[in-house]
Amino acid sequence: MIRKNSLTYLALIAACVLSAFPLYFMFVVATRTNDVISDVPPPLLPGGSFGENAGRAFANEHAAFLYGLVNSLIVSAVVTVSVVFFSSLAGFAFAKLRFRGRSALLLVIVGTMMVPTQLGIIPLYMLMVRLGWQGTLQAVIVPFLVSGFGVFMMRQYAASAIPDSLIEAAIIDGASTLRIFWSVVLPALRPAAAVLGLLTFMQTWNEFLWSFAVLDPDTPTVQLSLSLLATAYYTDYAQVFAATAIATLPLLFVFLVFGRQIIGGITEGAVKS
Amino acid sequence: MRTFARRALVAAAVLALVATGSACSKKNDSGARPGQLTITIDYFGDFGYADLIKEYERSHPGIHVQIRSVEKLDDYKPKLAQWLAAGTGAGDVVGLEEGILNEFKTQSQNFVNLFDHGAGDLRNDFLGWKWEGGTTADGKQLIGLPTDVGGLAMCYRRDLFAKAGLPSDREAVSQLWPTWEQFIATGQRFTAANTGAKGFVDSVTTPFNAIMFQSGDTNFYDRSGALAAESSPAVRRSWDLSMKMISDGVTARATTWSKDWEAGFKQGSFAVTACPSWMLGIIRNNSGADNAGKWDVAAVPGGGGNWGGSWLAVPKQSKHPKEAAELAKFLTSAKSQVAAFKKAGPLPSNVKALDDPEFRAYKNEYFNNAPVGQIFGSGAKALKPVYLGPKHQAIKERAFEPALQSVEQGQAKPDAAWAKALADAKKEAR
Amino acid sequence: MRRITPYLLIAPFFLLFAVFGVYPLLYTGWVSLHDWHLIGGHQFVGLANYTGLLSDPDFWNAMANTGGIFVLATVPQLLLALWLASLLNRGLRARTALRMGILLPNVTSVAAVGIVFAQLYSRDFGLVNWLLGLAGAGPVDWQGSRAGSWLAIATMVDWRWTGYNALIFLAAMQAVPRDLYEAAAIDGASRSRQFWRITVPLLRPTIVFTVIISTIGGLQLFTEPLMFGNGKMLGGSLGQFQTVAMYMYETAFQRFQYGYGSAIAWTLFLVIAAVAGVNALLVRRAAR
Repeated sequence: MIRKNSLTYLALIAACVLSAFPLYFMFVVATRTNDVISDVPPPLLPGGSFGENAGRAFANEHAAFLYGLVNSLIVSAVVTVSVVFFSSLAGFAFAKLRFRGRSALLLVIVGTMMVPTQLGIIPLYMLMVRLGWQGTLQAVIVPFLVSGFGVFMMRQYAASAIPDSLIEAAIIDGASTLRIFWSVVLPALRPAAAVLGLLTFMQTWNEFLWSFAVLDPDTPTVQLSLSLLATAYYTDYAQVFAATAIATLPLLFVFLVFGRQIIGGITEGAVKS
Repeated sequence: MRTFARRALVAAAVLALVATGSACSKKNDSGARPGQLTITIDYFGDFGYADLIKEYERSHPGIHVQIRSVEKLDDYKPKLAQWLAAGTGAGDVVGLEEGILNEFKTQSQNFVNLFDHGAGDLRNDFLGWKWEGGTTADGKQLIGLPTDVGGLAMCYRRDLFAKAGLPSDREAVSQLWPTWEQFIATGQRFTAANTGAKGFVDSVTTPFNAIMFQSGDTNFYDRSGALAAESSPAVRRSWDLSMKMISDGVTARATTWSKDWEAGFKQGSFAVTACPSWMLGIIRNNSGADNAGKWDVAAVPGGGGNWGGSWLAVPKQSKHPKEAAELAKFLTSAKSQVAAFKKAGPLPSNVKALDDPEFRAYKNEYFNNAPVGQIFGSGAKALKPVYLGPKHQAIKERAFEPALQSVEQGQAKPDAAWAKALADAKKEAR
Repeated sequence: MRRITPYLLIAPFFLLFAVFGVYPLLYTGWVSLHDWHLIGGHQFVGLANYTGLLSDPDFWNAMANTGGIFVLATVPQLLLALWLASLLNRGLRARTALRMGILLPNVTSVAAVGIVFAQLYSRDFGLVNWLLGLAGAGPVDWQGSRAGSWLAIATMVDWRWTGYNALIFLAAMQAVPRDLYEAAAIDGASRSRQFWRITVPLLRPTIVFTVIISTIGGLQLFTEPLMFGNGKMLGGSLGQFQTVAMYMYETAFQRFQYGYGSAIAWTLFLVIAAVAGVNALLVRRAAR
């Protein structure tokens, strides 16, 4: 039995090592000088050049990497706030208010999670041109302000975490629905809102295709910056990997701190739907 | 504690709204002082303009110039087309490369007529055919002022040549290959010497381009602008010679612009590559400081030819066409072109620049002090114009080069690849 | 007032989703019936774009690539995820650490994954070929060959998603009543027998769910092959790893043929809907 368990550990640790290796390799290259990257065998131990490499990435005029970081921060923050807010609003309505068509509409929301909206980018692009938004951050913010997954997740949480009696009491006190949402529901939804916020932030930070289509290289998101760095006529690998590491670090940090909650959020949404 | 959640949400929302208003873009963040006019210039790669812009700003205190460069032509072209079609987004001055110029010329209404801004007087400053290239077919509109031409040479590794028992002096190397057949024969000698390099020439596509641009005055299109790749002797000849290079095993199979190609410069995977003068900067960057002095520049087999080169145009949508035209004139002046050449390699198309003693005397330290001013300059005036047709760039990059690479990688037979190239060319030309 | 408030609360979602989710998708169908370009007007051409697609070798090539990479990526990924989940389901120590370990790749952006793996799979200087060399196998031209590029891209997808799916399976496994296993153990069923006879059948809805999600994502594969091919939309010298999404992007945003590009998008949408529909039928059957 002990032997069997140690085999289990061995297999899982191997899986973790495989998971971590490409990231480790990213940090290795990010900390070495560009000369050794094309060596055979490839470098496998970190060096001390991270600062210089990162400096070159920030100074690279083709990639506007600093702009990319700031833009992604803005885009992800706005989208996160909006998704959490609107999801809480709708989730509360679906969980606690009675209205005609409730279950049918909820079903529609679950259905929207399956819609490959990415395939609509051609008219979406034409729409952005008409609005004069191509090349601006609105173009990568506005289409992502709501999320079906978010609404569903908040509904599930609100249904189980907010006792009906609490709301009934507030109604008897004469509070309006919005008032109830603001002072009773929102505070109670906080744990779920935090998880949804984290997931949304990560997803927005990592979005690629649409930014690639609609943004200009001088107003990039961080992922667009990375692709500009990586596919240039001349690739300075140490610089590219340093930038990639910088772009990945914030998420890794968030993940290490809130890993348990994030895992909970991912599995929750998936299993219940 | 409950109010904390709400306050956090409100604070975040306010922050978010403020932030959206101040989107972080190089476009807005121009660094212009109050009262200064910002002129934006768009181009791809490196035109060598950084220092010139500073000089221009010093002599024009009311103007701030903003460079926005996209590195790859392949990324730049669709963005420029989108900006022009949308009527907004493009810079005040934009670079147009020869492979995409003709397509944009078909929409001449998108561009300012530079004749209206006094550019007509400059006609005799430039190589005649290059000047013609920037005008519309009826000669009434000047769309672009010429920047550079792509005079051809061969860059080679002295150390690898010596190791293979070949001469390494640039005169002697030039004499090894008056023709492309002799170039291939030299490659076989090199390969037989087992220097440890993966091959003689970097990949099949660099010589393909060089050969095509020097054989005949049209490539994929005929003079009437119809696709004629199938019957073009220039295309066929370059294709056949390229196939011979592959079958004779003289290429290092390092696909041009790929990661293996870039690393190959550093590692000495190949000993020679075709280099239009704008390629010098790219070779130097890829090879790195450790390889300084190892590269040198020799003559191209088969006589001179032109590969690449651009024009500067002013889109109609520019709000400051006068100032933009002035900047374009400045950047294409003889003095500026010499400075850009020394900075990044683009070969002047301005005749006065080509005659400039400073240009003539310029030696490139990285390339073993090769007298590049003389090497590229002497052939520049003899360059013959090639008519490229509207979708030249797309047909080259998306039909013929991939087909050549597929044979080089051993994934396709020459005949099948030729047929695919023609089919893809038709698709791109549509 | 109370009667309309609920609708006001859910309205923002439906409004925004209608404008930026549903409308573009439906309008794609409309555009696909036209000869529609970046410049100039557009002209109704009926189903001409679709008949064009049927005889377009590049489209079928992209379909084959997408399907091939999808199968190559999804089948091993889900099997591996099931196995990892069953390992994690045995009361272990350091549970959270192990779970986070296998979820780590999912936090990484696709662009970053593409950049790192493109380097690992480089033909002349990559780590993978170096390891193969140590094992006495010749260098593989990962980019040049069809099989090599499919495999390389599939591993990128697997790396990013196996842990994610494993955690979803794990959550479903934990909902399986323990006494089922105890009863089986008393009957003398081995661990692997318990896994195939109890766990897998009970997990069927979850498995179908992950298959649907993987289908929707996998058939839209775009960024991994793009970064693998050094940012080129062609997907290799013979288009050996150009996916349908790349072909759509190339057509619409580089050749500016909006009509034809929309036909590609809409066809892919129908394929995804069909595959998802088949899966939904399976769910219903499983639930019966």
